[in-house]
Amino acid sequence: MSELLTIRDLRVSFPTHQGRVEVVKGLDLSLGRERLGIVGESGSGKSMTGRAILRLIRPPGRVTAAEMTFDGQDLMALPERRMRALRGARISMILQDPKFSLNPVMTIGRQIAEALDAHERPSRGERRTRVRQMLERVRIADPDRVARMYPHEVSGGMGQRVMIAMMLIPRPALLIADEPTSALDVSVQAEVLELIDELVRDEGMGLILISHDLALVSRFCDRIMVMAGGEVVESCAAADLRHASHPYTRGLIEAVPRMDETRDWLPVLDRAARAGT
Amino acid sequence: MIELRNVAIAYDGHRVVEGASFAVPEGGSFALVGESGSGKSTVLKAIAGLAPEREGTILVDGAPVPPRPTLESARLMQMVFQDPYASLHPRRTVDAALSEPLAIHGLKDRDARVERALRDVGLDRRFRFRYPHQLSGGQRQRVAIARALMLEPRVMLLDEPTSALDVSVQAEILNLLKRLRAERGLTYLMVTHNLPVVGFLCERMAVMQGGRIVEEAPTAALRTGDFATEYARHLHGATGADLMGPDLLEPESVDTAPMETEK
Amino acid sequence: MSAGPRPAPRSGLRDWLLAEAPSSRRQAALGSAYRTWSQLLRNPLAVAGGLIVLGLVLVAAFAPWIAPDTPYGQSLSERLMPPSAEHWMGTDELGRDILSRVIWGARITLMIVVLVAVISAPLGLLVGAVAGYAGGWVDKVLMGITDIFLSMPKLILALAFVAALGPGIENAVIAIAITSWPAYARIARAETLTFAQAEFIQAVRLSGAGHMRIVTRHVIPLCLSSTIIRVTLDMAGIILTAAGLGFLGLGAQPPLPEWGAMISRGRTFILDQWWVATMPGFAIILVSLGFCLLGDGLRDALDPKGRT
Repeated sequence: MSELLTIRDLRVSFPTHQGRVEVVKGLDLSLGRERLGIVGESGSGKSMTGRAILRLIRPPGRVTAAEMTFDGQDLMALPERRMRALRGARISMILQDPKFSLNPVMTIGRQIAEALDAHERPSRGERRTRVRQMLERVRIADPDRVARMYPHEVSGGMGQRVMIAMMLIPRPALLIADEPTSALDVSVQAEVLELIDELVRDEGMGLILISHDLALVSRFCDRIMVMAGGEVVESCAAADLRHASHPYTRGLIEAVPRMDETRDWLPVLDRAARAGT
Repeated sequence: MIELRNVAIAYDGHRVVEGASFAVPEGGSFALVGESGSGKSTVLKAIAGLAPEREGTILVDGAPVPPRPTLESARLMQMVFQDPYASLHPRRTVDAALSEPLAIHGLKDRDARVERALRDVGLDRRFRFRYPHQLSGGQRQRVAIARALMLEPRVMLLDEPTSALDVSVQAEILNLLKRLRAERGLTYLMVTHNLPVVGFLCERMAVMQGGRIVEEAPTAALRTGDFATEYARHLHGATGADLMGPDLLEPESVDTAPMETEK
Repeated sequence: MSAGPRPAPRSGLRDWLLAEAPSSRRQAALGSAYRTWSQLLRNPLAVAGGLIVLGLVLVAAFAPWIAPDTPYGQSLSERLMPPSAEHWMGTDELGRDILSRVIWGARITLMIVVLVAVISAPLGLLVGAVAGYAGGWVDKVLMGITDIFLSMPKLILALAFVAALGPGIENAVIAIAITSWPAYARIARAETLTFAQAEFIQAVRLSGAGHMRIVTRHVIPLCLSSTIIRVTLDMAGIILTAAGLGFLGLGAQPPLPEWGAMISRGRTFILDQWWVATMPGFAIILVSLGFCLLGDGLRDALDPKGRT
């Protein structure tokens, strides 16, 4: 499998009153055209990892890595202008809440067209058909009508599908989805994830799915990395998750109440082991 | 303890809940389940007296609920909100938040009561004079629970009390809620979209959709998926028993079939 | 809280104040005040502003001892003298020492500024917080009144009030206060609207708190910082409005060494005897700057989120 993204010893740190604190402490990662899930709780560094790949961490945050190459290009050395061209076109990112990621005063059609324009220069007719096709692909029933709507006129699930359309229309090679469904209702969540899954498979993209939901990630990914306190504590194939050995991973699995719950008390992670919360 | 008969609730003239009826016995734990916009939180607010435009009968402890909170209703029932970041005053310390109900009700012995409340929810006393932003999400939710318990109410209204928390923290808060109920014989009415949480904390549940209660069932139905209505089964399926825990814990029942959802 | 021993032996006042786990409300409150204070001290601009304001207060308090001359001592033979070793800021058209007048004027300026702030800021805060919290017709009525006041130019409105109340510095203060509260009401309302429906307000309602308690103890504290900023920024405007009224003969009456009135009178000689108008002008700028810097620093220091 050809390597799409290789990261060695990624570190992200922020200054605090107690000196610089590392939120990602030496992460190694290599990703082909596959689906990788990064799981962790808040403060585990999972979102910072996603942002560091896109070089979206601003000073005073600091990112260092022994190596960070995407498709043969050294991400750490790339000038900001080239990096901007890369973002969106080759690597896309879907964020948690479409409400905050869509421009409220621009129609959906125009926003998707803009995403396309930023990286290609299609003719007007071609642009319209591409936008239409993309909306159809994210299973929006009436693409022409939706294209004329504003973000506040659509539901959360629809908004997230619009986001996906926007992110995928330039045909990126890698998609980073950071909690793409946690703002959505349960019955819509699965639908959106399946959509992402399908598009990723069709296009042969790489996917990094960042989430706090272990079960969800294990269902939609080939490989899983569990992060805690800025470090990867467990890395395994999704199918082997049930054999997970690290106590943190076990704790995460067992702390979730189950549909057929019979336990009187839920097991709780020992926080003393992890520098408190 | 809580009884609703044919309750309708409106916001600015728009009906958002209609014909809601259910009853929770003293010491019981009942869940209102549904997706956003189903009206489940509105029902909770109406019981608390925070939704003035309502019709029908809402009885708590045998007496009709006043249209807005009163001193008496405050001692009878309290609420825990979904977002612990939003439910604590950003400029007041934990101590101020916990003392406020005592001050309003003119209760004595505030120091001792605040300290005891912190202990009851498992917070160290060094948190007493901290501000909300100095606490983690789980700690804030513990403070919110402690605040609700300051007046020693008999009914607790829980509005998605764990959905803003990490799973491991969620487990702690769920355990805490379960323990407090057992210790104090509290009556719980919880609103949530998370069915497994209902299975852990409640005995009965009502499924809401589009402002109506479409089905009422014991939570045992969650184990079997044995619901009468299509919508309840759909909701049950979407949460995906096959997607949650068991697979991860029991090696033999690996099920990779994609689940079906229709919109 | 009765018998609990202090968590750490009192190795020093500072440690006691910064204790991780204060053992009483008093200790926590003092510790919090200390943190605000040290936060303020860490901001050099705020310290500069504070020193200027402190300087103003001291000058006002000790004017009789600091001023080289009385503010009214005329000496027609020494009219319109440029700044010199004898008269550091020169003399005005009646031969009065400008430095002495500026020093005495600090009292008047301080009085005007403090009185206006003390009257208008709480009034505006209360009106705005009530309007934003209550909503509905209360909001419409209160904001309607506010808008009527806002729609008229400040100086003209103040003029009308002074004309009705009679000229004099006290009436000028009242008139300025009446014209400046609407701005605070607008700010407080806008601020209140952002959290009027917030869950922490609902939680207090559920504890059985009355509306007045919620507004005064929970809503207003959150509007305070933006109001403080606005008040400090308005200080210069207040001084100038008072000066404008003085210029029209409706504010501070002539012999009084009010800075604004001094500028107005110095206007006549601005081209040939620049110091007459400029010296009190400097004083106004310096004091306004002091209030602005202090206000800015206070905003950061008062926000508990800014602290560690």
